[in-house]
Amino acid sequence: MLKTLVSLNADLASSIALRYACRMGTMVKMTLQTIHVEDPAAAGHPPGTGWVRRTWEKSLLKAGEDEIAQLIQAERPSCPPLALTKILIGDPEEEILRELERESYDLFIEGELYSFSSASFYKKMRSRLYKDAFCPVILVKNLMEMGRIAVLLADDMNPSGVVKTFLKIFNGGVFDVDLLYYRVQQSGGQTLHNQEHAESVLSSARNLLVEGGRVPREGRVIQDSPEKLSDLFKDYGLVVSSINDLADKKSHMMELLHRIPSPILFCPR
Amino acid sequence: MKILVAVDRSSYSAYAVEEAARLARNTLANVTLLGVLSPKEARKNHHDPASVAWGPSHPLAKALGQYRESFLSYFEEKDSPYLNREFDYELIEVAKGVWQELGVCRSARKSLKVRTRLGNPVKQILAEAEEDESDLIIVGCSEQKQCFWEGDANVPERLANGAACSVLVVKEERNVRKIVCCLDQDKTSQESLEMINQMVSIHHADLEVIGMSDGEGLKSEVERKMNSILKYYLDRQINPQIKVVPLSSLEEFISKEARQDLMALWMGKKSVLENVLPWTKVKRVIKASHSSVLILR
Repeated sequence: MLKTLVSLNADLASSIALRYACRMGTMVKMTLQTIHVEDPAAAGHPPGTGWVRRTWEKSLLKAGEDEIAQLIQAERPSCPPLALTKILIGDPEEEILRELERESYDLFIEGELYSFSSASFYKKMRSRLYKDAFCPVILVKNLMEMGRIAVLLADDMNPSGVVKTFLKIFNGGVFDVDLLYYRVQQSGGQTLHNQEHAESVLSSARNLLVEGGRVPREGRVIQDSPEKLSDLFKDYGLVVSSINDLADKKSHMMELLHRIPSPILFCPR
Repeated sequence: MKILVAVDRSSYSAYAVEEAARLARNTLANVTLLGVLSPKEARKNHHDPASVAWGPSHPLAKALGQYRESFLSYFEEKDSPYLNREFDYELIEVAKGVWQELGVCRSARKSLKVRTRLGNPVKQILAEAEEDESDLIIVGCSEQKQCFWEGDANVPERLANGAACSVLVVKEERNVRKIVCCLDQDKTSQESLEMINQMVSIHHADLEVIGMSDGEGLKSEVERKMNSILKYYLDRQINPQIKVVPLSSLEEFISKEARQDLMALWMGKKSVLENVLPWTKVKRVIKASHSSVLILR
């Protein structure tokens, strides 16, 4: 049973993430725990100290609790009954990282609306949550059907880590799986590795999948600009990848991940 | 629903009729096919022996007849809502417990009018739309020549600008793979959402709904409205994608997306798009787009 933590805020991205998690729950054996962290910094400076501050924090928690209860109520038709949401106060990243470690979750899910501008995506990729998370993270950009999953490999990525994470999460469940290897073009059109290298990575990833009981539908090398490639991913319910050593926001891999409209599962580094 | 299809004799008008037929099949709309004749065209030109005075043998009248047949061919004769039924005898209860065989003629459930007006094309089409209280004007234009209309190049964009109802500018045949909707989430009407729903259904296209942000994410009321739009489409088995576009990048986004995908722009009264996208820019979208453009009101 996959122990899953879903981060919720009173916004559209969280509604979508919760619906997606619930859809996923119909295909994979998992438990869902929701969490909301009320950020006091976002609500302005705390007034005073002592009981004044404690009262202010309590009212923040109450407001957060009410908003999340409304969100969950609205999503009730598409979700199974959920356990009580954990409402915490503090820095959202810190609190979520602490909760992930404390309760040893297998998976973390959060929402982020798919955006034409890359700034918020890059900011997220550089955040501690994505760098230091102890478990895989699904960033839900859109609500997609879960029928097809792409495992996206690239140069400088640990393919066995990505495939093993995928197999651990999607043990069982009926999906089509495609293996894709992105040959990243450097400036001047050069690629880091040749076609043979890409083919051999695909081949070993395929073997790992087959050993894990999953026969990929196809395995192929993709090589084009991120803008042109992004359309390729629109029919995938999930793209499994990693941001190993690719935190440079100017990298093509990072740009491709930004442009993918589907939810992305980031495997731990 | 009332659809007005503005046509001329060019091949792009055939695509406009085709699009109208697909839409009418789904919505059972009342449809008017309208041709406009300039006063000069209506007269026989004595210097040109090939010219024909307005009448059944005029090329526009013939083209309209062909468009009517082409439109009707989209419907199975037995189910067509546009065909008048022949007289037949039916058993009708004329008094309690008394039945009589009566000759009955069932009229068409929906109207298909074929009309021609004389005068300036834009003025006449807009006048027809107003008099008939049309919900949608469909007009074709050539893709190659920057949305050209025979005789008066600017007809499609002037209709899109001047009409009180929605306008669909149809480019020559092209597979619509994705419909990108820039809606004003605060004010978009139910009819517009339904229109997009129909367009998605008839083209089996993907749907992308754009949320416009002021640079610091979506406002909470916009998020709420987007959420209800998302639910509206999910209830109709349509899985839309949501994309956030900063208002400052909207023009760049539209000019990129409009090249390939059908762009639907909500330009209703007080629309936020009206402020961000002045009419000159919308005109550019209509001209530059390789695909059709839907102006929603």
